[in-house]
Amino acid sequence: MINIPGVISQEKGLKSELLLVKGLTVDFETFDKKIEVLKDVSLKIERGEVVTIVGESGSGKSTLAQAIIGVLDTPPAFVKRGEIYFDGVRIFPTDGKRVKFRGTGINMVFQEPLVSLNPVYTIRKQLLEAAEIGGIPEKGGEREKVIKNTLTELMIRDVERVLNSYPHQLSGGMRQRAAIAMAVIQRPKLVILDEPTTGLDLIVQRKIMGLLLNLRREINTSLLIITHDLAVAANMADRIYVMYAGRIVESGTRGDIIKDPLHPYSLMLRDSVPTGYKESGPLKVTEGAPPDMSALPTGCPFHPRCPNVMDICRKNVPPLKNIGDVREVACWLYEK
Amino acid sequence: MKNEEILRVEKLKVQFLNREKLKFSARKTGRWKIVLDEISFSIIEGETFGIVGETGSGKSTLARTLVGIYKPKSGRITLMGREINFKKREDLLYLRKNVGIVFQDPVGSLNPRLKIREIIREGLAIEEKLSRIDQDKKIDEISDLVGLADSKLDSYPNEISGGEKQRVSLARALVNNKRILILDEPTSSLDVSIQAQILNLLRKLKDELSITYIFITHDFNVIRYMCDRIGVLYYGQILEISSVHDIYENPLHPYSSDLMNANITLETENKFDSQYEIGEPSRSGCIYLNSCMKKFEKCNISPPEFNVNGRLVKCWLYESGKL
Ligand SMILES: Nc1ncnc2c1ncn2[C@@H]1O[C@H](COP(=O)(O)OP(=O)(O)O)[C@@H](O)[C@H]1O
Ligand SMILES: Nc1ncnc2c1ncn2[C@@H]1O[C@H](COP(=O)(O)OP(=O)(O)O)[C@@H](O)[C@H]1O
Ligand SMILES: [Mg+2]
Ligand SMILES: [Mg+2]
Repeated sequence: MINIPGVISQEKGLKSELLLVKGLTVDFETFDKKIEVLKDVSLKIERGEVVTIVGESGSGKSTLAQAIIGVLDTPPAFVKRGEIYFDGVRIFPTDGKRVKFRGTGINMVFQEPLVSLNPVYTIRKQLLEAAEIGGIPEKGGEREKVIKNTLTELMIRDVERVLNSYPHQLSGGMRQRAAIAMAVIQRPKLVILDEPTTGLDLIVQRKIMGLLLNLRREINTSLLIITHDLAVAANMADRIYVMYAGRIVESGTRGDIIKDPLHPYSLMLRDSVPTGYKESGPLKVTEGAPPDMSALPTGCPFHPRCPNVMDICRKNVPPLKNIGDVREVACWLYEK
Repeated sequence: MKNEEILRVEKLKVQFLNREKLKFSARKTGRWKIVLDEISFSIIEGETFGIVGETGSGKSTLARTLVGIYKPKSGRITLMGREINFKKREDLLYLRKNVGIVFQDPVGSLNPRLKIREIIREGLAIEEKLSRIDQDKKIDEISDLVGLADSKLDSYPNEISGGEKQRVSLARALVNNKRILILDEPTSSLDVSIQAQILNLLRKLKDELSITYIFITHDFNVIRYMCDRIGVLYYGQILEISSVHDIYENPLHPYSSDLMNANITLETENKFDSQYEIGEPSRSGCIYLNSCMKKFEKCNISPPEFNVNGRLVKCWLYESGKL
C-alpha cells in the first residue's frame, strides 16, 4: 500500500484545492523509441470532491495516477514538466528536499490489486496496521472490530478466512476488496482508485461505492476515481475529466459531460453505452480504435475517428480552452 | 420470428468434484459441488436469449455444457427435436456443428502460436472434407463479415487489439454455419467504444445469418439492449424467465428485483446510498432465502416454477399464478 501521509513542512500557502496538478508531461523512453504518454495534463480536486477520469485503455489514466503519488517506474517513465501540489504543499518537484510526512494523506488502490498489498503479510496484519494509521485506538479490540465491519460491508462472507490469508491465496475480486478496505480504514484526505469496480459484481460495486461516499460524508475525503465505466462516473462524480491519447480533451460537471458533452469523443463515449431496448437501433459509434501512442496522428489525436472532422483538425492540435466556470474543451469546433 | 422451439433444456444438472472445501460457491452435497441444479428453459428460433447472473452462478458452465465440453450428470438437452446423448460421438458432433461458442476470455482462447487465419480455420475442423482452397474462401468470407481486415489474417494474436481478438473469436465460431451461437460475456473485457462496435456487429450478423443467440453477461444495460428474453441465474438455479421488457419494468422474483434496483445507468444518479444485503445461498428451502426481503414460512420448502402470464418464476409469492 502506497501512502503519502499529510505533509507538515515545506512552503505553504497555495489555493484551497486539496490536489492541484499543473501541466504534467510524461514520456516513456525505451531503447528504440520515446512516447509522450501524458501531454500537459492539469487537474484539480477540491476538498470533499469526487472527481472521475474517464477514457479508454492506453489513454494514460494509470500513468497519471502513478505520477501523482510518485511511483512511476523511472526509467522508462520520465516526468518532463509539471508541478503537483497536495494540501497546499508542492509534492513534485521537490528540488531534492525531502518532504516530511505525518498523519494521513493520499491513498491509492491500484488497478492490479496485488500491487496494493504486501505479499508477505496476512490481510489481518495489513488491515490492523491501516487501522493504526487511521487513528483507531488499540484498546477494547477496536481495530479488529473496524476491520471486520469494513470487510463485511464489502460483502465478504468468510471474513475470518480472508483475514488469515496472504494476498496470493485470494481471488482477484477478494484482493480488490481487501485493498479498498485498507485504503478506507486509513481515513485519508484523498483516495485514488484505479478502475476499482472492473470485474466485480453489481451489488459488490454498489457496496464499494457506498463505502467510499460514506467516508466523504464522515470526514470530507476527496475521491479520484479512474474508470472506463461511464455509468459509474454518472452516479459518483461531481466533476469528470475525459482523457484521450494522454490529453484531457474535456472536463466539466457530471451534468455537463453526461447530459451535454461538447467534445465529439465525450459524445461518442456516452453514445457507446446502451441505454435502451433492442428496438432503440444501432449505437452511434464510429469504427477505429484509440491511436497507438508511439504513432499519433498529426493534429487532433481524435480526428481519424471524429464524425465532425475539419481541415484544421488534421493539421493543428486544438488547445484546451475554458468554457464557462468549470468547463474546458479541446476541440476546434468551439474555437471562435 | 417464428415461434418454434430450437433448443430445450430440461432439469439439467452439472456437478464437479468438490475441491475447494471452504468456499461458499454452490450448494454442496458431500464430494460433489452442484453447479447447475436441474435447470430448465427453452429457446425459440431466431431470438436472443440472455442469461444474467453474478460471478460463479454457473453461466460459463452452462455455455460449456451446451456445446458438449462438460457432460451433464442428469437432465435432457434437445436440439431441433433431437435428444442429445452425451455418450454418443455423433450426437456430440451434431451439437458442435449446430451450436457455436465465443468463449469468455478472448485472449486465453486464442492460441498465441497460430496465425489468425489458422485460428479461424480451427472452426472448420469438424467439417469433414473441405479442400484447403474452399476453407480459405470461407475464412475470407467470414473475416469480411465480422469486419476483420485482410491484412490481419497473417498476424499473431498478440499483434492485434482486444476488439479484433473478439472479431477473430466470432469468425472462428461462425466460419461453419451455425444455428445457435453462445456468447459468453463477449464484451466485458473491451473498452466502451469497442464494446459498442461489437454489439452493433453482433446485431448485424444476427440479421444476416438468421441465427439464434444465447447471450451471457452480467451487464444489465447490455442485456436489455441485446435480448428478447432473459433467464436470471443464481447459484445454479434459474429464478425467473421473462421478456426483457417485463423484467425491466416489473421484475417478479425478489432477486430479479434486487438486481434491477442495484443497476446503474447514465440516467440514474447517486444510487450508492441504498442498502443491499445479499447473503450466501441457502442450503435448504428456497435458495434465495437468506437474502430475501419478502420471505415467509413457506419459503423453507424449495419452490417449483410457477407460470405467471407466460413468465416463469421460482418463488412461492406467485403460487396462485397471478400477479
Ligand atoms: N512500462 C511502460 N513502458 C512503455 N510504455 C508504457 C509503459 N506503461 C504504459 N505505457 C504506455 O503508456 C500509455 C498509457 O498507459 P496507461 O497509463 O496504463 O493507460 P490507461 O491506464 O489509460 O489504460 C499506453 O500507450 C501504454 O502503452
Ligand atoms: N471445471 C470445473 N471444476 C470444478 N469447479 C468448476 C469448474 N468450472 C466451474 N466450476 C465452479 O462452478 C461454479 C460456477 O462457475 P462458472 O460457470 O464459471 O460461473 P460464471 O460463469 O457464472 O461466473 C464456480 O463455483 C466454479 O468454481
Ligand atoms: Mg489503467
Ligand atoms: Mg463465466
